[in-house]
Amino acid sequence: MSVGMPEFVENPENRCPVILLLDTSGSMSGQPIQELNRGLAAFKEDVQKDSQASLSVEVAMITFGPIVKLMQDFVTIDQFTPPILEVGGLTPMGAAIEYALDFLENRKQTYKDNGIHYYRPWVFLITDGEPNDSWRLAAQSMREAEAQRRLSFFAVGVQGADMNILKQISVPERPPIMLNGLDFREMFVWLSASMKRVSSGKVGQAVALPAMGWGQITS
Amino acid sequence: MNWKAVARSAIGTSHQKQGIVCQDYGDYRILDDVIVGAVADGAGSAKHSDVGSRLAVETVLKCFSDISEYPQKQDSQPLSKEEAQKVFAEIVNKVITELQKQADEGDYSVNDLACTLLVFVATPDWVAAMQIGDGFIVMRSQESEYQLLFQPDKGEFVNETTFITSTNAVNEMQVEVIPEKQEFICASTDGLEKVAIRLSDWKPFSPFFKPLEEYLHEPVNPKEDKYLTEFLNSERLNSRTDDDKTLLLCLFDRE
Repeated sequence: MSVGMPEFVENPENRCPVILLLDTSGSMSGQPIQELNRGLAAFKEDVQKDSQASLSVEVAMITFGPIVKLMQDFVTIDQFTPPILEVGGLTPMGAAIEYALDFLENRKQTYKDNGIHYYRPWVFLITDGEPNDSWRLAAQSMREAEAQRRLSFFAVGVQGADMNILKQISVPERPPIMLNGLDFREMFVWLSASMKRVSSGKVGQAVALPAMGWGQITS
Repeated sequence: MNWKAVARSAIGTSHQKQGIVCQDYGDYRILDDVIVGAVADGAGSAKHSDVGSRLAVETVLKCFSDISEYPQKQDSQPLSKEEAQKVFAEIVNKVITELQKQADEGDYSVNDLACTLLVFVATPDWVAAMQIGDGFIVMRSQESEYQLLFQPDKGEFVNETTFITSTNAVNEMQVEVIPEKQEFICASTDGLEKVAIRLSDWKPFSPFFKPLEEYLHEPVNPKEDKYLTEFLNSERLNSRTDDDKTLLLCLFDRE
């Protein structure tokens, strides 16, 4: 039989975008920011262990404190250099949330323009304080985005965080999580494991997330 | 002069690693000069979706076999789209009933049987087809290019689709009637989508389908032959998709 085997079309990988929205205000100084920096390195290391996740996961990083700053535009994990984050000033969380929402919509448009398929984006917010800017509108936009299933929003509070405000940013189905101590490493390994599940996830349904061993759900 | 067909499924490497069985299923029946084919992809998150996909496909095929007067009655006149819609809606409801029965017997939720479903009925002169959820049906009529029948049903994001157990399944069902002779029909689950379809404009990739069509022209009995199984289990394919994959191929042999 002389029939050859089917040849494959080259399609761009499906993308699995995640925005890290990180509090770098003054109160994070010292051990918290050091542990956060270590956690970011662990995140990269862990995602890279999975070949599918390495191709699909795209990470962007926005910090707030003293100002809102795009520390890292979307890159695949191999291009992601875990930064040494520095801290200072107040906590413009509201502005950061608004920035993240706009930034994400732009990214989606880029995907669409290039015929790239994508999983529902994740926005992962970490803070140890409370916003010192107006945040209610931003909170409402975030809740709406989640309710319309445009993204999945996770709020993580480090000791000192105003969990009540975080609750008002989150939807009731996904309440904020209080980090155990400064166990950022465990948290980022969980995030990586979740991203692996999502990105290898059968195209076709929501995936069950791994158990959170790193924090407590506050409800 | 008749239909020649073959259906094969192979487990995806991710399911193999997790010790899960293959959740895809595909089969066909040839009733005189009419072929009915169905493929289903069990939802990864549903506990018994391998049972669901198999039961869905078998129920569809049984339904069509039961309508024994069907081929004669329709003669060579194609169904209208409305008629096709009605026939498929009835069959989908029958499938849902069977799934519910199965779930009741096993004392679990019908959602544990969630699967996609793609069905086609082809006479020598026309084809009617439906699709709930993702996956694809590609066909080719004489002297023309491969054609994708439905754009896969996806939400904004890749990890969203409809299943036959979804409450909106019948409404989300896509139906099409092609009032033309088809030479080749391929129905598949979404495991092969990214190697077979150019996703930027949803064009079937002909170097993928052409060898499959040529294969059916070979004087081999596809039931006993290993070509498809070898392809579906090949390293080369598994390096591109870790999902279960199914191919249901048919050729109308006019010689």
